[in-house]
Amino acid sequence: MNQELIEQYVSGKMSQAQAEAFEEYCVANPEFARQVEFEQRLKAGLVLVASGSTAEFVRSNHSGRWILAAAASLLIALSAGFYAWRLAPGATRHIMAAASMNAQPDGPSMRLALVRGAENAPQLPGGMVRVEIVGLFDPGLQYSIALDRLERQKNVATVATLDSQQPTSPVTLEVMIDSDQLQTGAYSLRVRKQGSEEEALEFGFMKF
Amino acid sequence: MDFVPGGELSRRIREGDVSAESELIRQFEPGLRVLLRRRTGGDQGLLQDLVQETLLVVIQRLRGAGIDDPQKLAAFAAQTARNLAIASLRKAERQRTDVDSDATERNADPSPGVEALAADLEAAMAVRALLRELPQTRDRLMLKRFYLDDHGKENICEEMALTEAAFNQALSRARRRFRQILEERGFSKRDLLSLGL
Repeated sequence: MNQELIEQYVSGKMSQAQAEAFEEYCVANPEFARQVEFEQRLKAGLVLVASGSTAEFVRSNHSGRWILAAAASLLIALSAGFYAWRLAPGATRHIMAAASMNAQPDGPSMRLALVRGAENAPQLPGGMVRVEIVGLFDPGLQYSIALDRLERQKNVATVATLDSQQPTSPVTLEVMIDSDQLQTGAYSLRVRKQGSEEEALEFGFMKF
Repeated sequence: MDFVPGGELSRRIREGDVSAESELIRQFEPGLRVLLRRRTGGDQGLLQDLVQETLLVVIQRLRGAGIDDPQKLAAFAAQTARNLAIASLRKAERQRTDVDSDATERNADPSPGVEALAADLEAAMAVRALLRELPQTRDRLMLKRFYLDDHGKENICEEMALTEAAFNQALSRARRRFRQILEERGFSKRDLLSLGL
């Protein structure tokens, strides 16, 4: 048995009879089976990473330049945020907030996972809602979150933003949304790794 | 680990040798994981349940009636795992069609659960670490083309102006490093501890 057969099996390119013979060989040969499992896990890991964004596969090699660019972007974003806050204090500050440890544990909550069709979009309950965003996050990094209202004719209006949010676990990021301040309609939460050129992850939901 | 032939394992288990049962678990578990991983779509909980169920069925069979050809013990275990996976799939299908449709709509949540997402999280974290370490964009793209876009080696080599030897070398380096990262994170240790039949 060689690597080529492992590749064929993992990519599903074997006939049923070949795959069954291969599996019997795996069951009888634990060391070989471990090799196959690593290949399966490598593929599964790649699929999961790519499900968020493929930017990690094509990022630039110039890490120094990347860090400078990231720092500049962060500075610009912070300055713009501060300017907007000065212009309209309180206008959007309280629609979305960092998830508080003191929030009522049995209060309303909603879970968002990956992108889904509008017909399946979850519904935001009323009140101050704890929103659990499920995705693949790097716990050592900070994320910025934008809440967009999707209007007719595909217009998008950003109604709130929140920066410097840290994931609560490698698969969850939590924020609080004051549902009562939102009009009815379709919304989208965009989550972006701060200082990164990666595409944002988008999570849709409805408010009735 | 010494390999014990199926015939000998069958005989010893039939004679009540408990250490032979442990041998069988150690020998067969990795292969059964491979087979069942392919049929459980990354659901770690289901995979683990089916591995344990398979081993239990095989051991009980060997303790009792035995199998026709003890030399084909691995084939018997593999077929048992396939049958259990099919049965589990059918059961899940039945549950989906039997339930009250109003209740389904009320509780509809097509998103993957946290548990399902977390199942391959460790592998995804290792992949991220690997991608960060790979110095060449070419190597990262090569992994994407090969594993995600399902392009053939020849096409990738042509597209990226690589010789087959350079392609194989880069792929093998990436695999080795991925395995190393996972092992550093304790995958192998936990793997060994994962069965408590």
